[in-house]
Amino acid sequence: MAALSGRPRDVLDALHATIVGQDEVVEALVLGMIAGGHVLLEGAPGVAKTLACRALAASITGTFRRVQFTPDLLPSDIVGTRVFDQKSGEFATVLGPLFANVVLADEINRAPAKVQSALLEGMQERRVTIGPQTHDLPAPFVVLATMNPFDTDGTYALPLAQLDRFLAKVIVAFPSRDEERAIVDRFGAGEPPLRSGVVSAADVLRWQDEAHGVFVDAKLRDYAIDLVRATRGAELVAHGASPRAALALVALARARAYLYERAFATPDDVRDLAPAVFRHRISYDDRIAIAGGDPEEVVRRIVASVPAP
Amino acid sequence: MLAAPAPVLALRKLHVDALSMRADRTRLQVGEVFHLAIHARVREPIVALDELVVPDVGTMQLLGDERHVTSTPGGADVVETLTLEPTQSGTFTFAGAYVDAIDARTGKPSRFSSNSVRVVVEKPGVTFDGPWTASASFVATTVVGTIVVGGFIVLVIGGLLFALVRARPKPAPPNPVPQAPASAGPPRTARDEVAEALRAFRAAPEHASLMRLRTALFAAAGAGPGATLSDATAATQDERLRAALVAAEHAAFGPAATRERSAAELVEESERWLR
Repeated sequence: MAALSGRPRDVLDALHATIVGQDEVVEALVLGMIAGGHVLLEGAPGVAKTLACRALAASITGTFRRVQFTPDLLPSDIVGTRVFDQKSGEFATVLGPLFANVVLADEINRAPAKVQSALLEGMQERRVTIGPQTHDLPAPFVVLATMNPFDTDGTYALPLAQLDRFLAKVIVAFPSRDEERAIVDRFGAGEPPLRSGVVSAADVLRWQDEAHGVFVDAKLRDYAIDLVRATRGAELVAHGASPRAALALVALARARAYLYERAFATPDDVRDLAPAVFRHRISYDDRIAIAGGDPEEVVRRIVASVPAP
Repeated sequence: MLAAPAPVLALRKLHVDALSMRADRTRLQVGEVFHLAIHARVREPIVALDELVVPDVGTMQLLGDERHVTSTPGGADVVETLTLEPTQSGTFTFAGAYVDAIDARTGKPSRFSSNSVRVVVEKPGVTFDGPWTASASFVATTVVGTIVVGGFIVLVIGGLLFALVRARPKPAPPNPVPQAPASAGPPRTARDEVAEALRAFRAAPEHASLMRLRTALFAAAGAGPGATLSDATAATQDERLRAALVAAEHAAFGPAATRERSAAELVEESERWLR
């Protein structure tokens, strides 16, 4: 049963009840819901990427669809198609799994460019065209996509322009030893039931509306812009982040303040969220491989190079 | 021992305006404590200078190592003070401290080095009085002779220098690396800074004075400019100071509707900490 006035903290608690550790991942998923943006999760197999997305979807009373991306997937498999109804003698539209409040695009980089493009167009426009008709996607609409950084054989790299549509990219790291022990204890006898219906889809829409009212001081806005500009021309960076990154950073800072029930965003919000906003929006110089550099370290240095206000 | 140069990836872009090193005593005895201070001045508002590599202290016993970063209008001053105790006699030369960075002037990886420092350590019981231990007549003769000859030399050199300065145009500003640190007056404490900033804020509660007070509170917590609230609260265990830092954050970044109340809380919390 959906709570009448669910708070984002309720979803956060529901996720923590299922997922062991992974605080940054759990927070990013909830922030994506509040900010109305899509989130990309990258991590090795078995680190609870899919489980985290399922737990988030379960906590919201809305529709959830999961699509396993494969090389033979077609755009119509996710968007929908027109089929001829022999009884009526007319074409009918069958909506694809993209028509859901929460869509899990599992292993997004395993589908060819056409499918990625169809998905990402829907993510950006929040509507899709099937045959002669354009259909609005439901609200709220959030895509959670997962990627595996290993096993790159048979994958299709997502271009920067498409990655830019994701509000944030979160790295799902291996758990610590204590966390791994807790995972074995919690999941040893099978997966515990997910907490379902903690909040309603209407609650999420209300959060998105209210989060717009979170105050962002001009100093903080300038700090976000300075951070984005610092990605351009930074050492070992070929292409820096676009202005969309500044919008994403401010939106996420607002969402974080809203999550923790603050009326205003702080420099900590902006600084802490900057890596998640930048890491998929930057392309690196070839020298990074020669220097044995770590892209995450490059992002950390860029963030550290800009003093907070 | 000098560390290996940092890899290119680790270098950050810095304007290093000064890097110098000095000892508060250069002649002392075994067992006497002295300080070796390294001073770096950069134009960037940094909160730490991890790139600063101090010299190897050899056989000397390291009793303390403190690093302070102070914000300045033009960047930051970093002072690292090593407290040392020689364990054996001899002449010791400390190689220069250095900073590896991308020189912001040229965009190239560079090593900024300080001067080296020589310290003479004698065995215990040896005095450094030198000729002053000799007989009174010898001392008097030496002193008078030195004054007469020295005075003449000073007059000649002074006259030549005066003529040179008048004849030549003013030189261009010197390359600032390395440069000896300017001599400072008596050090002001963090409380002094906060108290003064608080007075200014009470007299004129406007944005500039608010940010000055916030910066002073951050510095009191041990966090320089460019740090965030979480850095500052992590740097201090003082609960009163933490409360003042949080109040400063509300006043600096909160919405206009709550600013007056936040400013009053900031004044109250700052006063509590100063008490």
